[in-house]
Amino acid sequence: MTRLSALLRLAAVTCAIVPAHATVLLPAELGDLSREAWAIARGTVVAVEARWTDDRRRVETIVTLEAESSLKGALGATVQFRVPGGRLGRYRNIVLGAPEFAVGQRVVVFLGARGPRLPYLVGLGQGVFRLAPRDGGWMVTPPAVLPGAGTAPTRIVRGDPARRAVPLEDFEREVRMLAGLGP
Amino acid sequence: MSRSRFGRLHAAAAALLVILVAVPRPAHAYLKFGVAVNGRQVTVKWNQTPIRYYVAEGGVPGVGPPQLAATLAQAFSTWQAVPTASVSFEFAGYTNARPGEGDGRSTIGFLAEPDLDRVLASTSLLIDDVTGELLEADIFFNSVFSWSVAPSGEAGRFDVETIAVHEIGHLIGLGHSAIGETEVSGSGRRVIAAETVMFPLAFGSGSVTNRRLRADDIAGVSDLYPDGAFEADTGSISGRVTRNGEGLFGAHVVAFNPATGALVGAFSLNAHGEFSIAGLTPGAHVLRIEPLDDADVESFFEPDPPVEFDFRAVFFNQLVVAPRGADSGSVEVAVQPK
Repeated sequence: MTRLSALLRLAAVTCAIVPAHATVLLPAELGDLSREAWAIARGTVVAVEARWTDDRRRVETIVTLEAESSLKGALGATVQFRVPGGRLGRYRNIVLGAPEFAVGQRVVVFLGARGPRLPYLVGLGQGVFRLAPRDGGWMVTPPAVLPGAGTAPTRIVRGDPARRAVPLEDFEREVRMLAGLGP
Repeated sequence: MSRSRFGRLHAAAAALLVILVAVPRPAHAYLKFGVAVNGRQVTVKWNQTPIRYYVAEGGVPGVGPPQLAATLAQAFSTWQAVPTASVSFEFAGYTNARPGEGDGRSTIGFLAEPDLDRVLASTSLLIDDVTGELLEADIFFNSVFSWSVAPSGEAGRFDVETIAVHEIGHLIGLGHSAIGETEVSGSGRRVIAAETVMFPLAFGSGSVTNRRLRADDIAGVSDLYPDGAFEADTGSISGRVTRNGEGLFGAHVVAFNPATGALVGAFSLNAHGEFSIAGLTPGAHVLRIEPLDDADVESFFEPDPPVEFDFRAVFFNQLVVAPRGADSGSVEVAVQPK
């Protein structure tokens, strides 16, 4: 490899710095999320808007979903929830670990609620599953971490051929069962 | 991540050692924070040190402001003590401001955030979108949980120093590392191994395992704030991850040094599948490439472009040498669909 080609490749890679995301989380599997969620909704993001919190000390982002389905809880056709951080004017407040949303994304969200405020994501980024079109259907990718069976622990091995994207209908059936709502 | 996973192929791979032509080394590895400014990506880091921080007044049972300040000083000193990095910190005093407020001061303290139900702690960065300048980095510890500053940890309470070391990694500009492993059982999911303090998932309460930096963390901070002979004394490995000849975005690439036991990770970070792992102890390394298919991907990447998950984990079939002060030259690792 020549010095020039190495430098060109270096430039390409260093330009791909990853935007900020980071917190220390307690891990959750799909059973935890399904049980702990006050509501679970599938929908398409139609609006993302940052604003000051009520005490005007911090920034939060309000995400609006056009709901297609409520897997748990009685939600209306439009669902809103809060995500910490956001961009207001010249300044960007990045709360590391808070997922980012864009209009048009299709998602399943696990929502918690406390008092009169808008719902929040259970487990922060762990409480959102992205949907991707594939083979004429919709898949949940990456696959969710499912609860262990029994008391014997099972290692989660990256690259395990069994860890595949899951068809949306299979994912939702699993969520309903884990939430105790039947198939 | 279990070192034994790498050890299994060690003997076989040793026979396949390749000496690659040394080339000028890239300087990118790990996940570093970046923001788009005027169409270009800017690394988020501090331009001046010492980095001044304030400690918020108010505490939690067992951890008052003086205990918090003392423990934070210890956690900061852990990063400051890395001999190959040049970053320093200064305690500027106590404040009645709360972490997360945009006041131009980096503030660290406790906050009750019941809505962040599984978040032990978090770092928020205030960035000028026009210049890309990092103006402030605040850390909060979620007082919904129980905390301890006991020297050996305390059952049922999370260790402030352990979590502080992780969050300070973010404060200086490091993202998450994926060198860790979890398991599930009837009682839920838990972390069973982590060879980095920057793994996003926490060990259980009482653990003090991650007070100590590992090779991956040391390489990361040294890459961001290099000092002394860091670049001359370490090497890097770079290359591409491909599937059916096409580059893969978001593949996790880990370099294991059988001589030292060190693990340093990075990701393929563009559509060509290119990766670069810097800060390696010179010598032969085993490469493992794996999909991030067990993770809360939002902890590592934005949703767009999508990360590739549909491939099997693989060990590269040759040892790759990280030459002192230089790069391995590009290696191409082909992976197979699941």
